[in-house]
Amino acid sequence: MTPADTLRFATRAATGYPLRTALMILAMSIGVAAVVVLTALGDGARRYVVNEFSALGSNLIIVLPGRSETGGVGLGSLFTSTPRDLTVRDAAALLRAPDVQRITPLTLGNSEIAYGGRLREVLVLGTSADYLDIRGYRMGLGHFLPREDLERASSVAVLGATLCDELFGIESAVGRMIRVGDRRLRVIGVLEKSGQGLGMNTDELVVVPVATAQAMFNTNTLFRVMVEARSRDALASAQRQVEDIMRTRRDGELDITVITQDAVLGTFDRILGALTFAVAGIAAISLAVAGILVMNVMLVAVTQRTAEIGLLKALGATGRNIRFAFLAEAALLSLAGALAGLALGHLGAWGLRLAFPVLPAWPPDWAVYAGLGTAIVTGVLFGVMPARRAARLDAVQALAKR
Amino acid sequence: MSLADFLQLALRSLVAHRLRSFLTLLGIGVGIAAVILLTSIGEGLHQFVLKEFTQFGTNIIQVTPGRQGARGGPPGLPSTTRELTLDDAAAIARLPLVTGMTPIVHGNSEVSAAGRVRRTSIYGVGADMDRLFSMRVGIGRFLPPDDPAGARAFVVLGAKLKRELFGNANALGERLRIGGERYRVIGVMAEKGQFLGVDLDDTAYIPTARALALYNREGLMEIDVTYAETTPAAAVAEAIRALLAARHGQDDVTLTTQEDMLARLSNILDILTAAVGALGGISLAVGGVGIVTIMTIAVSERTNEIGLLVALGARRATILGLFLGEAVALAAIGGALGLLAGAGLAQLVGLLVPALPVSTPWHFVVVAEVLAIAIGLLAGVLPARKAARLDPVEALRAE
Repeated sequence: MTPADTLRFATRAATGYPLRTALMILAMSIGVAAVVVLTALGDGARRYVVNEFSALGSNLIIVLPGRSETGGVGLGSLFTSTPRDLTVRDAAALLRAPDVQRITPLTLGNSEIAYGGRLREVLVLGTSADYLDIRGYRMGLGHFLPREDLERASSVAVLGATLCDELFGIESAVGRMIRVGDRRLRVIGVLEKSGQGLGMNTDELVVVPVATAQAMFNTNTLFRVMVEARSRDALASAQRQVEDIMRTRRDGELDITVITQDAVLGTFDRILGALTFAVAGIAAISLAVAGILVMNVMLVAVTQRTAEIGLLKALGATGRNIRFAFLAEAALLSLAGALAGLALGHLGAWGLRLAFPVLPAWPPDWAVYAGLGTAIVTGVLFGVMPARRAARLDAVQALAKR
Repeated sequence: MSLADFLQLALRSLVAHRLRSFLTLLGIGVGIAAVILLTSIGEGLHQFVLKEFTQFGTNIIQVTPGRQGARGGPPGLPSTTRELTLDDAAAIARLPLVTGMTPIVHGNSEVSAAGRVRRTSIYGVGADMDRLFSMRVGIGRFLPPDDPAGARAFVVLGAKLKRELFGNANALGERLRIGGERYRVIGVMAEKGQFLGVDLDDTAYIPTARALALYNREGLMEIDVTYAETTPAAAVAEAIRALLAARHGQDDVTLTTQEDMLARLSNILDILTAAVGALGGISLAVGGVGIVTIMTIAVSERTNEIGLLVALGARRATILGLFLGEAVALAAIGGALGLLAGAGLAQLVGLLVPALPVSTPWHFVVVAEVLAIAIGLLAGVLPARKAARLDPVEALRAE
């Protein structure tokens, strides 16, 4: 039998029972589609997080007060008190490091904001002029905090877009006086809407000079210092310099934690990557089920086509030919199923992207290939037994059966 | 047709195609096993987390400064709202429903003793803390109920911190320095292990008033309150809220009961289990397609048998029932096999990962089996209807 004959035999067998073929393809495609959609979801989540972090600025170092021997970023280091404050002067001193480009101190707290009888709870961020550039935010209206001495507590505030809408509606906010806690501040700008982000949502934030925030919350310590290295390559040396400066300022004791964004990002990347992999694995179980189905149907096909096989054998087809013919059928079915599943999966991923525009839900290449490969391998593997059974049939008995 | 005939017919067709039936069973079985295994792991995780959270006792209410509603930001942020003071804490302790109370301030300092230095978490707590959080003192005793104004400089060490600083030597009565101040060790806590990645043994407990001075703070980070098991949490919470509102002149605290927190946690974990179960359900759906395929084949194979039955006077409903019965039987047996396999695998996982108390939720088992049977029914409908609609004359002539 020529390959063309084998192929014709296989396709004719498949088209001879359209409903059965359709069902097998459906089963295969459900499995492949599940793998594609789920990995798209998982990888989309991973990409979303990575993007969010890169939006923070790619060569960022974060200095937080307090340090635990066990290291890492635990619940305990999220917010804690230390006997020695991390001060604005500490932050300013970091600018002396050769590999540090910019710094911005952060003080965070909750307060009440009031304007024209409207009152609500709000998150107050005390920081400096460089914050805008380090985080890569843009102004919607007016100016950001003025570039001035870090210890000067000017009575100015910048509002997040949503907060501004809630307080002022269509009124113009810039130039108005608002009350935050027990202070009266002049609104000098409104941030451009940045949408939902990781951690802080700037749309609902009040930004004030760091000294103003410290006075408001009656504290000396900073919540974080964000440090921008000169370049990505300088990240490691900048981290060392930051640690050195802090150690000198603290009589040789390093009671701060310095984390680079890469470390945090790497953790997230690994967790979400493993999650995607696990989910894909679970979905792949359905491919095994589909494989069992293929085997089942192929076995039935062998029984049904016993006479045909007998005839082929009588005409001189070898066992090998028959085996190939059946394997080809199984492979064709799996391939069709896998392709249909791929289309279905991409459709699902597209639906996901429509439903959740923030999520870049594209199935990763490895998942597409793995899904396709597993489907075809499963189909062929489960086709082996029926094919062998067909090949082993005795020609005379097979013909006599009818 | 009598029930016995009915069963016999369905069973005979199953037995006649042993391999085929077996493979169909296997398809459904793998699906069900996947669902059961995954939900078992999900449920195990659920119980593990709940147990972690309840190890500190269940009748605890947490009082934190600031009204809830401020968005974002980690807990413990400074706020312009009125702070919780030691006086507030003392007033709460005097409430009739309250059985125990501890004010909490925590921070991070360098601890030095016997020539060794270690950075660790320092907790400023009240004398009731060990009882409140069901923690045990290993050696010595816990902090005495001193007057906050004159709290003595005593410290109780976590088991790991004691080992790191003093090794196997006796620590009781030793002096150590925390952030430059001198403290005397009066107790060492029993091992408690980790809680959500935080080492509970690498800590030192000092009187709250001392911690406030150490960290130069005015207000407490939180106050934890216990109440009698029999009292409803809401009543206690209401009493605390009323008391603090009266003291502060406005309602400016957040109360979290353990019940609220556990319920919230439980909800999230339930969703997780359901989601994972649904994932496994995909393979169950594929198994269902398998049943449709096999039943369709069976109908076309047995066309003349059906024709004969109809010609002999069998009603359409009987034919329909016959094929449906076969599909359901396949699904039900496959489901049962899958249940066994899934539960067995779950137990195996439980043996391999002792930290995860795998448990097969029995209501899920019932749901899965019912699902399998439903899939059988659903999958059987199409072929069975096809069989029932066959024209007897045509069917008989088909061969």
